[in-house]
Amino acid sequence: MNFEVKTSQRVAIVAAGIVSPLGFGLTETLQSLRQARDCVTPVTAFSVEKTRCKTAAQIDDGRLLDKANRSRQDRRLHRASYMVRTALAELLERAREFEPEIAIVGTTSGGMSFGENFYRTLGNGGVCSAALIANYPPQKQIVDAMEKFGINAPAQVIANACASGTNAIGHAFNAIRTGRCQRILAGGYDALSELVFVGFDSLQAATPEKCRPFDSNRSGMVLGEGAALLALEELESARSHGAEILGEITGYGISTDNHHLTQPNPDGSGPRRAMEQALAQAQLEPNQVGYINAHGTATVLNDTAEGKAIAELFGDVPVSSTKSMMGHSLGAAGAIEAVVSLLALQHQFLPPNINFREAELSLNIVANEARDAQFDCAISNSFGFGGTNATIVLRRFAR
Amino acid sequence: MSLSIAGMSWVTPLGSNVNDVWQRLVAGEAASIEILENEQNGARYLVRRVPATTMAHLPPHARLRRASAISRFAAAAGLAALAEAKTPPSLDRIALVFAISNGGVIYTRRFYAEIVKSGAQSASPLLFPETVFNAPASHLTAILEISGASYTVVGDGAVGILALKLADDLLASEDVDTCLVVAAEEIDSLVCEAYRQWRFLRDPKKPETGRGMIMSEGAGAVLLKRSNDGIEIDQIVPGANFFRRSEASARLGSVVSRLKNGIGFCVGSGNGTFIDRAERAAVGDEMPVYSPKIALGESVGASVFWQLITAAKALEAGTLPGSSKPPVDSRAVVLACGLNQQTGGLTLRRRVCPAFQGST
Repeated sequence: MNFEVKTSQRVAIVAAGIVSPLGFGLTETLQSLRQARDCVTPVTAFSVEKTRCKTAAQIDDGRLLDKANRSRQDRRLHRASYMVRTALAELLERAREFEPEIAIVGTTSGGMSFGENFYRTLGNGGVCSAALIANYPPQKQIVDAMEKFGINAPAQVIANACASGTNAIGHAFNAIRTGRCQRILAGGYDALSELVFVGFDSLQAATPEKCRPFDSNRSGMVLGEGAALLALEELESARSHGAEILGEITGYGISTDNHHLTQPNPDGSGPRRAMEQALAQAQLEPNQVGYINAHGTATVLNDTAEGKAIAELFGDVPVSSTKSMMGHSLGAAGAIEAVVSLLALQHQFLPPNINFREAELSLNIVANEARDAQFDCAISNSFGFGGTNATIVLRRFAR
Repeated sequence: MSLSIAGMSWVTPLGSNVNDVWQRLVAGEAASIEILENEQNGARYLVRRVPATTMAHLPPHARLRRASAISRFAAAAGLAALAEAKTPPSLDRIALVFAISNGGVIYTRRFYAEIVKSGAQSASPLLFPETVFNAPASHLTAILEISGASYTVVGDGAVGILALKLADDLLASEDVDTCLVVAAEEIDSLVCEAYRQWRFLRDPKKPETGRGMIMSEGAGAVLLKRSNDGIEIDQIVPGANFFRRSEASARLGSVVSRLKNGIGFCVGSGNGTFIDRAERAAVGDEMPVYSPKIALGESVGASVFWQLITAAKALEAGTLPGSSKPPVDSRAVVLACGLNQQTGGLTLRRRVCPAFQGST
């Protein structure tokens, strides 16, 4: 195997698709971001009688599952499959001929609720359908969604906890940048599940109150769900067939913080290294960044570490955590927030960090309302359990 | 520059010393079979487990105090593969790629069992973090003090190919010099029951029959670097997905056709299910095929690494267990077919000089 490294390839975003509590598709998402919509509602998917927290940001099943148009085979699929399918349908509407060589996507739990059903059925002395078992594994959702649209590409599924989506996009970016691939479907997905909800509840990382990233009275995260996909293509290849270019990915940084399995190093060194690497790869100075979509989970520990790193590195560059509106969708978060950052660049506005009342750190928080702004570069951060830290740089495409 | 194996190790039900296990495979030995019983429904499964003595030499580490078996297997294999390197890799320029299919299922089951039995308020905050797919990788980066890139790749039994492909891409980016690729799995009754209900498991009343798979556990690890010596991974091909079992042979055949000519033998992923026939159809009747799963069991996410190490040893030794001697200087193909959609393959070849030093 020979390594012929090309490091100068530019990576274009030629299409995107998204479904999240903010809405179905780019247009609804943009509208919700501009309106600073709080999408957090009481949990309906399972009992929360015995949990501290009772809320999450959820996708409406009525719209998602499109029950009237489901085939018998479709009815066996997990909700996460529908989310991926919805995002992919939107992406392919814009890029009908997009044929990825590989899909690189992030998730943390795939079809977890099917696993829960399996365990409960077993405990009740029942026998599960093979379909329930077969649709549980984490690669099924992306593979099945691709099949629906006649795409049969290998699926490289990255499970780096809450950084998965950003890691997937970042790794895809590098694979194109180095000339290893020309077209990659990248993104992430996760659906709300009882096990994960109770898990964060047990850690007291989730809050029974409002999600207030970077607020001095923040008390934890609210979970969310969704899927987002990007069609990434080597720029010259995209130009050669006249693709409309929505933006570029220009940098990626990844670091591992070995401080603790679930807690970041409070000195913020892990996030800082990821951001520095991403900036270096994008050949950017910190003051050239116009917007930071923070990981911003609203936990005391994350926001302190991330906020410290951002303040030290970027000074007063505008920052927001859009998780305040749509919750933390774990493996999907990085992908969804990449799309949010892309929309911000395209439409020249700063998405808001809602529920913000009182600053603790010296950060320029985009508090409570969206702001118009002129900027060319944005970064999106994702950090996760296991000390994984990932940052990508997005650039507005100059024709 | 090529992608070469600078170190390799495994933890298997037949032991963890690469040469010893290899010799036992050549001698036709198989790991002993135990019976595992499911507390929920009383079902019984044939399993091949890693003997407790195999893990006795794992150095203590704070991260492993509460960790599940999967993390211990991974740590043992990862540390041993690193120890194989002639020159210790720089910790600043090493990446970890981890492959997993079922993951930390023991703690996941225990965590969820408490929720079901006693309610959400009883859920353990100590167990939950260990249920996350990348928990074993996190423990390993902490033990090895790797602070750069770490990826956990999930999928079915072919996930190892996709993890190796990721490692290959990382090394091509020149951000790293070496990449430790590790895969691990642990046995749990819940996973066994899922495969039983899916009708893939061997009937516990008929252990001698070749039909159906026997679950196992353990880990495999390879240290990859860019160089031109030793055993080299020539080509990695992640394959297309199949949606019906009858499509598996065509997908595998497509993988084989994309791999370079001159393949002398195949180390396959046959496990007593439809995969056996699919692989045979893909490589043809003439190709010598050996699956270490016959002797070691089905370790799902870890299995590609057992196959890879078996193929490397076969190239080194010039012999394939249960088969006539493969052609000298031939390439080996490692073929992987998961039970649930994914396929892939890679080719290995041996550089004649200098001599391969990569085993204990």
